Amino acid sequence: MVDWLHNWLFSTFDFFPEWVLVFTWTLWKIIAIVAPLMVAVAYFTYAERKLIGYMQDRVGPNRVGPKGWLQPIADAVKLMFKEIIIPSKSNKYLFLGAPLLSIGPALAAWAVMPFTDTLVLANIDASLLFVLALTSMGVYGIIIAGWASNSKYAFLGAMRSAAQIISYEIAMGFALVGVLMVAGSLNLREIVLAQAGGFWHWYWLPLFPLFVVYFISGVAETNRAPFDVAEGESEIVAGFHVEYSGMTFAVFFLAEYANMILIAALTTLLFLGGWQPLFDFAPFTIIPAFFWFAGKTACVAFLFLWFRATFPRYRYDQIMRLGWKILIPVTLVWIAVIGIVRFYTPFGFMG
Amino acid sequence: MRPENYEARKHPPSNEFELNFGPNHPGIEGNYAFKVKLNGDEVLEAKADAGYLHRGFEKLMEGRLWIQNIALVPRICVPDPVPMEVCYSLAIEEIAGLEVPERAQWIRVMQLEMSRLAAHLFAFGGHAATCGMYTTMFWGVADRDLILDRFEELTGGRVYSIYNIPGGVRRDVPTGFLERLGSLLDYLESRLPDYDNLFFTNQIFIRRARDVGVMSQEQALKWGVTGPNLRATGLAFDVRRDDPYLVYDQIDFDIPTEPGGDCLSRNLVRRSELLQSIRILRQVIERLPSIKGPIRCPIPNPLAWNVPVGESYPRVESSKGELAYYVVSNGGDKPYRVHVRGPSSMHAVQVLEKLAVGSRLEDIAQIMFSLDACPPEVDR
Repeated sequence: MVDWLHNWLFSTFDFFPEWVLVFTWTLWKIIAIVAPLMVAVAYFTYAERKLIGYMQDRVGPNRVGPKGWLQPIADAVKLMFKEIIIPSKSNKYLFLGAPLLSIGPALAAWAVMPFTDTLVLANIDASLLFVLALTSMGVYGIIIAGWASNSKYAFLGAMRSAAQIISYEIAMGFALVGVLMVAGSLNLREIVLAQAGGFWHWYWLPLFPLFVVYFISGVAETNRAPFDVAEGESEIVAGFHVEYSGMTFAVFFLAEYANMILIAALTTLLFLGGWQPLFDFAPFTIIPAFFWFAGKTACVAFLFLWFRATFPRYRYDQIMRLGWKILIPVTLVWIAVIGIVRFYTPFGFMG
Repeated sequence: MRPENYEARKHPPSNEFELNFGPNHPGIEGNYAFKVKLNGDEVLEAKADAGYLHRGFEKLMEGRLWIQNIALVPRICVPDPVPMEVCYSLAIEEIAGLEVPERAQWIRVMQLEMSRLAAHLFAFGGHAATCGMYTTMFWGVADRDLILDRFEELTGGRVYSIYNIPGGVRRDVPTGFLERLGSLLDYLESRLPDYDNLFFTNQIFIRRARDVGVMSQEQALKWGVTGPNLRATGLAFDVRRDDPYLVYDQIDFDIPTEPGGDCLSRNLVRRSELLQSIRILRQVIERLPSIKGPIRCPIPNPLAWNVPVGESYPRVESSKGELAYYVVSNGGDKPYRVHVRGPSSMHAVQVLEKLAVGSRLEDIAQIMFSLDACPPEVDR
């Protein structure tokens, strides 16, 4: 299908110079990933409101469209038409640039995401490093937003978020070191391929502590409950984006949810076997690989919502203590264990 | 256009900064503000800034007939309005020497305890929301709504019932009301394990609330703390038992206490008080049908009622603490002076200012909700 489209484009429009075709083709591919992602984000917010609504003894949005299905679209339209208020004492360029810095990495990381064995935009060698590099960029959006708003609440939120994200990135990075030690590759596709053969071959089992640490760090990275001190509603109102309105706010919102889906997808790829079926025999292998990937991602993403409905927020100092004193030591110890098992025992981990 | 002698104020280098916490803040109940001086996240100084909800109740009452004020007093504290009505009626009855029939007294007790249930559900729900857990709040609001349904059936009003009048209550209990109340109590009791799982035994919540906003028993007594907040410091003081009003001396109930004096203890006290209120209500349901008689004593035409000269100071136990009305009559058809001794004016101003110092910014809202301070009552 992809090849056919590629051939069709390059053969039908061969009167254009080649760079135009390459540019068009790349643009198409980007749109093919970003557009469904945006729809997924929009309906993820709907799912959140609906699910948390049911957990909280209420029905959630149910007025716009049948069963509220059009609610995310109505929200998007509303936010688009709202005025973007720029605080008079803020730095205008930084203020408007911060949302872009926030959403850019959240979307760019999807470039290396292998949806199935063959469906990947850029199958680069060190795609895991690429993802790590880009997700670390996201914190700049938050810091700059908090700084440029020239507001004490936003500033507090930004500082908290900076410290939190940087400390949890360490735990996250160590958790990923464990994965790449076992898989022997930094390429996401090969990491998934190394987990072939049923759910007991996926890395969540041998790397269980790392799986837990990675997911907790992922929740903290995306500033979600119970680690949402950066926007702690009842403390610093909305944290770093308290001064944002209209589309600039919507972009932060999109970035947050895109990041959540990204973390869910990465957890799927690294620990839950990516597009690999649950069992390696008949009824399970019939389901297309992409649906396995999407389904697992949705299950992990559901956890984000579940956490939000059932956990109170950690206090900021407690978050730092958890990150530095529990998660990082756990990963370090488990990395040592992996190393010992891999090099000093005959069977290694996955053979 | 600066004056000639203007000199920019020099600030010494410092890590401190001031933050306006409120009056329009999602972590604050009602409109209430703090000026907080912070060093990082640590609160160095907190100054309460009340007055955003000032409606001048005490002055308004002097301009209205005795009976008209019944409609005014429940507005003083929105989450827990019934004790206001009852206490004000008790004050007038004491001055005028009215003998309230026993049946009316039992109905008043029932109302007070229903109101306490509703207020406590609201209070710890609000506390959960300040920690970012809105589920408990929504559950609390939903369950409180069922109590409001019963209020509506009994009194006609959901929040402000305006049901007590000097001398008794306005209407008798509707047929079948007590059975419905009984099944509501069963339901609320069956919900408590859910609340425990979600909230009271939630490790994150316990970690957040323990040792936050601690006050010792001596401090609590010195600062005029009453109600569940005082009982959370280990002192079993309850106006219902120690200075019984209405028919509380005929009712069996325990006074739950907790030793800690922190946010967690205050919440656990409220949780135990839910059970005690349910217990009291069950006794009311059992006793009320056997108590026959009128529901109010005859009073003169309320629109031309000159309450005799006198003054009184009855106190009741509201869900937030000791509530008292100091009412003075000079023999006219209007009160000469009414003073409301509300628990929240102690809790939300002086106690909160002191407890907030040394805590973290995140905990200010939590401490305020754990004290169950009610800004409209602070301002009055």
